Amino acid sequence: MYDFTLFIIGVVLPYIMMATFGIALGYNFFKFMFLPRPVMWAIFPAKKNLASIFITIGKRIFSLPGPRKFDKLIFTLAWMFHIGLIVSLSLHAKYIFMPHLPLEYEIGSAAGMFAAIGSFGFLIRRIYDKKTESYFSDYLALGLLIVTLLLGQYIRMFKLIDSIQVWSWIQGIITLNPVLPPADTLFLIHILFAQVYMMYLPFKTLIHPIAIFYGQKIILDQRHIRR
Amino acid sequence: MNLEKLFDEYRGLSDAKVRPQEPKVDRFLKAFREILSKENNWAFLLPLKLSLEACTHCGTCAEACPVYVGSGRQKIYSPLYRADLLRKIYKKHFTWSGKLFGRLVGAKEATEQDINALSEAAYRCTICRRCVLACPFGLDNGLIMREARKILAELGIVPDELKEEGVENQINFGSAPKIPYDALINILDFVKSEIEENRKNVNVEIPVDKVGAKYLIINNAGDYLSFLDTIRGIVEIMNYVNEDWTFNSPKTGVFDNVNYGLFYSDKDLLRVIKAHLETFKKLKPEYVVVGECGHSYDVLGHLIKDLIPPEERPFKVIHIVELYDKFLREGRLRLDKDKNPAPVTFHDSCKIGRCGGIYDEPRRVLAASCKDFREMFPNREYNYCCGGGGGFALMNKYNFPEFRMKTYGRLKMEQVKNTGASTLVTICANCKRQFLDTVSYYNSSINVSGLSEILANSLVY
Ligand code: SF4
Ligand code: SF4
Repeated sequence: MYDFTLFIIGVVLPYIMMATFGIALGYNFFKFMFLPRPVMWAIFPAKKNLASIFITIGKRIFSLPGPRKFDKLIFTLAWMFHIGLIVSLSLHAKYIFMPHLPLEYEIGSAAGMFAAIGSFGFLIRRIYDKKTESYFSDYLALGLLIVTLLLGQYIRMFKLIDSIQVWSWIQGIITLNPVLPPADTLFLIHILFAQVYMMYLPFKTLIHPIAIFYGQKIILDQRHIRR
Repeated sequence: MNLEKLFDEYRGLSDAKVRPQEPKVDRFLKAFREILSKENNWAFLLPLKLSLEACTHCGTCAEACPVYVGSGRQKIYSPLYRADLLRKIYKKHFTWSGKLFGRLVGAKEATEQDINALSEAAYRCTICRRCVLACPFGLDNGLIMREARKILAELGIVPDELKEEGVENQINFGSAPKIPYDALINILDFVKSEIEENRKNVNVEIPVDKVGAKYLIINNAGDYLSFLDTIRGIVEIMNYVNEDWTFNSPKTGVFDNVNYGLFYSDKDLLRVIKAHLETFKKLKPEYVVVGECGHSYDVLGHLIKDLIPPEERPFKVIHIVELYDKFLREGRLRLDKDKNPAPVTFHDSCKIGRCGGIYDEPRRVLAASCKDFREMFPNREYNYCCGGGGGFALMNKYNFPEFRMKTYGRLKMEQVKNTGASTLVTICANCKRQFLDTVSYYNSSINVSGLSEILANSLVY
């Protein structure tokens, strides 16, 4: 029975998750690509060519100028959360190539902490800040995220899992020769929640990168200035 | 006044307009469905759907919204709350997740009460688009409110000031305030005699309806009635540089640059654009110069290029401040700053700055013509709307002016006061109108002025 659970969560679900996420991402990207927008309604200063639009979008993703100017709390939380998450995910992605990295433990723990504090902050802000509107779907997303992050952090800090095992599990998925994941209940819950979150996200709201790409591009597209 | 409360304690639309007792849900949903289709929403479908679907309800946009901040941060005035009135209905009726999970995902069946509330809430946002700058995704809650107004307009829910007394008057009489030809000519004669009296030995010409002039200056007709100093300034400057120019009159069609369709309907927006084009066709100018007005610059300077093929608009469009700036850079204006010694500050109108990209030109003109030019803070793209945007400056019925003054007006007044300036300059007639109301509401001694009269006053003969 335990092996069957391992098989479903560690072997079947990753493919379902990747397919769901990928299809939702592609569907939304193309859906918005083909929606008409004959009217340009930029916010100035706007950009004159595609290259500077993309550079500006890239900068805005990291510098978050809106939150930085208007809401320092969400800026700090968003920054902590996203940097923490990006570093954490990069350390997960390294399993595609190698089982270990120098200073992985220290960097990963700090990143996980950052991401966890950020997401806890989001949760508290949603509960107490009257500027936000929150529905069950928002709390569910945050709940999944927080559980995933905390378990990941716990597993990493107490070194509960052998990284060679994780490496071979991920290699198996990528090479389409799946093997069972490490048989640890906490690890199993961690990867289950992470995958449910990834599948849930596109259905809760538009995936962030797509929203940022189109939203920022719309307001950065130069209007008809003669200069 | 005995109007039912629909959203907050204010009303901008009458019961006769909103018809709160009449069932509207089905018609509302039909109109909503239509604006979600490519055929019917040829203007803004992509940003609308994006803004409806991508919002994470983080509320970052709230602090950027002058209504929210000016109201003492009341939740019902946050951009998110207002936009969600429409977003919830969208989710419930037009997304499968909303249909399946309802309130769990923030979806809500449209009710008569919701539509009544939305009718008023859509007129609590000036569509100033400042909140767009705050949203990490660049989502546009102002656009959502504009599209909500569009749906409501299909149900006949539009303020008279914008539709009957705005668009319809303009198309039928040439200007929203219905200024007849003779009255316009009398006004211009008065302007001419005034300038000639003040500037001895100066011969003033005011060409009207001249065909083929280089510059056709089309003003906000409100300036002919309420801001004659601005008209006087324009006439004086154009005479000073001895340019080939003209105003126009009801005899050649529409002589009012406004287009209130921008605030509530793509159809009426286009009707007014077409009426403008008919007029320009008769007058054949090289340049259409948009007089001191913001939203008309948005339409004639920008939207027209998206909506009308180039062969149907064989002229260039510039804002009058760009023309002044050009004269200045060409060295055709001799100015004496000492003639404007009082401290002056400048208000960036949303449609000219944030949406229009004109920030530097008015600053160059003011720096050259005033001794003490001071920035207000925040400024440029971060400036607060005056509170007259989205048609608000015209909406004076019921207790709506009180809303304008107590939210936007209060915030704006504080911002202007902080500069210590005694003159507030803006290049939009609707902003001027709102400022005049605000200044009188708050018993302020600040002088509200257009740019043309300030520049004209500094001319050296
Ligand atoms: S467009 Fe302006 S008034 Fe409307 S919600 Fe945004 S900031 Fe507020
Ligand atoms: S800032 Fe953007 S995502 Fe956040 S609530 Fe406002 S519109 Fe929605």
